[in-house]
Amino acid sequence: MADVPGGTGARIALVDDEENLRETVGFALRREGHRVELFADGLEAWRAFERNLPDLVILDILMPRMDGRELCRRLRALSERLPILFLTSRDEEIDRVLGLELGADDYLCKPFSMRELAARVKVLLRRAALSREPDGGEESILETGPLRLDLRRYQATWKGAPLPLTVTELSLLHALVRHPGHVKTRVQLLEEAYPHDAYASDRTIDSHIKRLRKKLVETDPSFDEIETVYGLGYRFRQG
Amino acid sequence: MSLESHPLAPSPIASPSTGRGGTRFLARISVRLLLFNILLVFLPAAGFFYLEVYEKELLEAQERAMVQQGRLVAAALAGQGELKAPAAKVLLLRLEGRTGSRLRVVDRQGNLLADSARLVPPRPVAPPREERYEQSASSAESLPHPRENPLYRIGAWLYRLVGRISRPFAPPEPPQDTEKVYSLGAPLLGPEVRSALAGRYGATIRPTAGQRSVTLYSAIPIRSEGQVIGAVLVSQSTYRILLALYDVRLDIFRVVLAAVVAAAVLSLLVSATIARPLRQLRDQAHAVVDRRGRLRGRFRGSRRLDEIGDLARALEELTGRLERHLRFIESFASDVSHELKNPLASIRSATEMLGEVEDPADRRRFLEIAWREVARMEHLLSSVREISRIDARLEAEPAGPVDLRELLPAVLDSFRLHTGDGSRIIFRSPPGPVHTVAAPERLAQVVENLLDNAVGFSPPGGEVTVELAAEPDTAVLRVGDRGPGIPEEHRERIFDRFFTWRPDEPHARNGHTGLGLAIVKAIAEGYGGSVSARNRPEGGACFEVRLPRLPRITD
Repeated sequence: MADVPGGTGARIALVDDEENLRETVGFALRREGHRVELFADGLEAWRAFERNLPDLVILDILMPRMDGRELCRRLRALSERLPILFLTSRDEEIDRVLGLELGADDYLCKPFSMRELAARVKVLLRRAALSREPDGGEESILETGPLRLDLRRYQATWKGAPLPLTVTELSLLHALVRHPGHVKTRVQLLEEAYPHDAYASDRTIDSHIKRLRKKLVETDPSFDEIETVYGLGYRFRQG
Repeated sequence: MSLESHPLAPSPIASPSTGRGGTRFLARISVRLLLFNILLVFLPAAGFFYLEVYEKELLEAQERAMVQQGRLVAAALAGQGELKAPAAKVLLLRLEGRTGSRLRVVDRQGNLLADSARLVPPRPVAPPREERYEQSASSAESLPHPRENPLYRIGAWLYRLVGRISRPFAPPEPPQDTEKVYSLGAPLLGPEVRSALAGRYGATIRPTAGQRSVTLYSAIPIRSEGQVIGAVLVSQSTYRILLALYDVRLDIFRVVLAAVVAAAVLSLLVSATIARPLRQLRDQAHAVVDRRGRLRGRFRGSRRLDEIGDLARALEELTGRLERHLRFIESFASDVSHELKNPLASIRSATEMLGEVEDPADRRRFLEIAWREVARMEHLLSSVREISRIDARLEAEPAGPVDLRELLPAVLDSFRLHTGDGSRIIFRSPPGPVHTVAAPERLAQVVENLLDNAVGFSPPGGEVTVELAAEPDTAVLRVGDRGPGIPEEHRERIFDRFFTWRPDEPHARNGHTGLGLAIVKAIAEGYGGSVSARNRPEGGACFEVRLPRLPRITD
């Protein structure tokens, strides 16, 4: 187990039926210092995972024999904490996948930037490592009204209840909350949520905000602090 | 796909805002039905014109009756040499009550000898009696004037209204005699009497003062030994005829009124059963496609048995088919984008790595990956274009009779040459030619794709059989392999676009677009045939293409 926060040398499993993508992503992650295991389909990966769980799993959705959804479900049954990141080429699948339903931690849409992937992997690994650490150490906590963001552990709570946010959603929320009452344009939010990806579109921000609101409302039905400013962007209302 | 320019978007001209309230009143089916029905009902009004004929006949009948009576009197008084007033009076008294006319007997000079009206004073207790005689102004006033009936007035007004379009309501007035009506004491020497005294039949019509009715006068000569000794003057008012006509008119008008009411009720009923469901269909049609041209609502089928029900059901089926087709296009577009994103992701990550690594071996590796994926995208795009072309205009391609028994060996040879695959391809065919109508290149495409698939699933060196069979109306092509067969749950979807399933062979996916079998299906169905897949009892899968077979060609 890699206990170094944001550390390298983690064991990462990559499950994708695209051979060329597997090869390239595997190469890139190895260059970052990780140990990478490649699997061509869900069943093959599952057989390996049953013996030994990796530190992080990167999953494609559509795969022969066992698809990413089923594998994710099985992995979640084994471990609540294992970071799972989805790679998908179907935008319309994202909602279900991210699901709160499936309990994945984050996702990237194909085609994605390798730097973005590496950054996400780093964040997920650090979050996993920190959640295992006893409290203490240097804190980086942002509190606005009932919202509390722990930027070191990548954890968020609303009125004391933990929010099941992905890394992207957490970055977005952080960007909004840092300057409460100020409007953030979609471009600004895009830069904060996808610092390494020049290909994400404004529309992506809209769907992220939608999902973020939904998760907050699910935690607290009276939540409406994220305001849409038409023609401009979004604003976190001052508590 | 730009939704703004979608062909299904309603054109601005047919926009719901102008269409709904703006239907012109007269163009509405219900209004037209009402007008049509009411016009139909007014046909009986034509009966009013018939009344003219009826009136004329009545007048002629009355004149004939009058002449009859006059002749009777003239015959009785004839042959007496000289006319005597008492004898004439006795005769008239005897006839009293049997005729409806006033009878007068005059001598050769026109002097009145006897008058039936003077013999018996008018009895007030017997009104019909007064009616029988020509109407004096005073006696006419005692009867209700026909036109005072309000219903009649309405009818007359309406009729004049109609009459303005066709012709006047009232028949032309008869020419009125300007001569004064016979007064007491003076010799009765009107033209009819003079004519009778000259030995001819004489007749005149005189208006009754202040009345629309007229009085008919007929004079018949009385002869004795070849000499005219006097005349019988018969007169009768046409009042009774007018009264009869009035009754008939009133009856006709009552019928018309009742029919108008019936027509209005009928029109409302018909409009309820025709116009209302049509309006519903219109409202549904407006709701089917939204502003951006997307299919939103749909026609709710009707259980009506009539033509409107048929129309509703046809529209429901139409929108259902459109919906399925649009969904198919949408999912096809999303499938294509999905299939393109996979190679794109590889290309993007490979090129990104190219910018970061220095080692020439690594660089070559990533460059190769990028090239392979570019080739895959090209292959995918050409397959997509191919299948779209087959969908859109296979019928437009030049097609002719093709003998499959000649074509297949050539295709197999070229396939062997092209792939150099170790699989053994065995070809079996019936003795005679098997013709179908198609473009030979398309048939070759079918065979190549099936072979591709069969060889791809076969173990190395596995046997692939291509069998041609001729049924009476069908040419059957079967391609069998020794592969693992098709799992039952995929048998339905194996011809679906972008469906791929590769057992234990994940590495073989590159190069397969998932469109090969879909192209086979599109071509076969485009030529009126069908495709199916099953597992062979001896193991492996068998794909069957059935095409309409041409009867033997004689050349």
